[in-house]
Amino acid sequence: MNDFPDPTAWALLLLVVSAIALIAITVLDRRRKTEIHLREIRAFTDLRDQLKQAAESGRPLHIALGGGGLGTPDTVSSLAALQVLEGLIDAAVSYDVAPFVTVGDPTLLPLAQDVVRRGYERNDVPDFYDPCLVRFVAPSALAYSAGAVPVGVPEDVSANVVVGVFGAEASLIADISDRHGTPKAAAVDRAQAIGALYPATDRLAVGEELYAAGAQVTGKKGLATSLMVEDVLRYVLALFILMAAAIVLITG
Amino acid sequence: MRRIITKWIPIAISTGTGLVALAGYLFPQTVFSAFRDRMVEWAVIIAAFALILGLFNLVRVHGQRILGSGEEWGYSLVLLLSASLSWIPALVQGPSGPATKLMLDYVITPLGASLAALLVFTLTLSGVRMLRYRSMLSSVLFIVVFVVSLLGTTPLPGTEWLSKLRHWLIHVPGRAGFRGLFLGVALGTMVTGLRILLGADRPHSES
Repeated sequence: MNDFPDPTAWALLLLVVSAIALIAITVLDRRRKTEIHLREIRAFTDLRDQLKQAAESGRPLHIALGGGGLGTPDTVSSLAALQVLEGLIDAAVSYDVAPFVTVGDPTLLPLAQDVVRRGYERNDVPDFYDPCLVRFVAPSALAYSAGAVPVGVPEDVSANVVVGVFGAEASLIADISDRHGTPKAAAVDRAQAIGALYPATDRLAVGEELYAAGAQVTGKKGLATSLMVEDVLRYVLALFILMAAAIVLITG
Repeated sequence: MRRIITKWIPIAISTGTGLVALAGYLFPQTVFSAFRDRMVEWAVIIAAFALILGLFNLVRVHGQRILGSGEEWGYSLVLLLSASLSWIPALVQGPSGPATKLMLDYVITPLGASLAALLVFTLTLSGVRMLRYRSMLSSVLFIVVFVVSLLGTTPLPGTEWLSKLRHWLIHVPGRAGFRGLFLGVALGTMVTGLRILLGADRPHSES
């Protein structure tokens, strides 16, 4: 019962404490009404244009949230994907473009439905919400990617947005998009998905950019301050790594 | 009252359980880890219920499509029929009965393998399509690395240098790049998790 946590846990604890402190600092800083400028990520800036095109063409948008679910190591990636959905849903509802959302894990289904429902409520059109806008496709990653477009959303969509937990099988969705001539954008954090989607689209947000998606798409200041926290932590970690490397080089 | 139920109670539950689970990882062999294990068990039970919700969603979406003769309703019909049929052997013989095993061995596993094999072609096609819109330099670099990585695994005589080059590409620039990427992912995961723990993000409750 009196075991001390191992060094990994101490490091984790240190990071958690510094992140809490930094969030508190940035929240205080926010009160001074300072403007935060975000680096534009093409995958997300183009999403706004795609939504406008969807509104003009009257064709819906397909948002594929991938095979991640809750209670797994992918939980946070899936929640980051939900932030993108939250950001897109308001614009989609205000443009009167019904978005279709597909999920590959049933635990994500009620959350995604809730995000879509709240989007309709915020825009004062709760009666237009249809739970079938969010569709569970298949619990296996390969079956999900193969079936998301032809079986999950066979409707003529204006764009496919791939965001969340995917592996190399994401190239199946990209391939179907190419064959239908549908534009696509993606935000993924797994190495396999990055490798598979890099040649498929130039509107690709990789790694930590998935976690910047919420700030980019929703424009919420709170999410932007989180990005500042990430940046500060990254500099601190880089400094530690460089110091460790220097010490190893000097001491042999 | 409604605000308390829809906003503050979910925040209290998520923050409380999140902090206890985190403490369980940071301080193993304590009361926190026992709580964490119990909550993981509950999560598994809830996930099983979510699967039933997923099934209802599947039936509703595809049922509507078939009844309304919506687009690609044939796929929906095949999906619902195969889903219904696959229940029967499991109900009659149990989930590990011979018919279920046959179905897994001769239908689901080969189909999965075929889809996985298709990835080779979709990835190669993507590489070819990339030449159209990416800059020449990045396209050429991508294709050179791709070809070296592929040929470096072949046991052809005289290609030992390719194997060494592949090893260097994967273990030096490749690994360095991915370590940087994973560091960013880890920080993003941590900060996003913290926002939920602190109640700044509320995917589970009304804003």
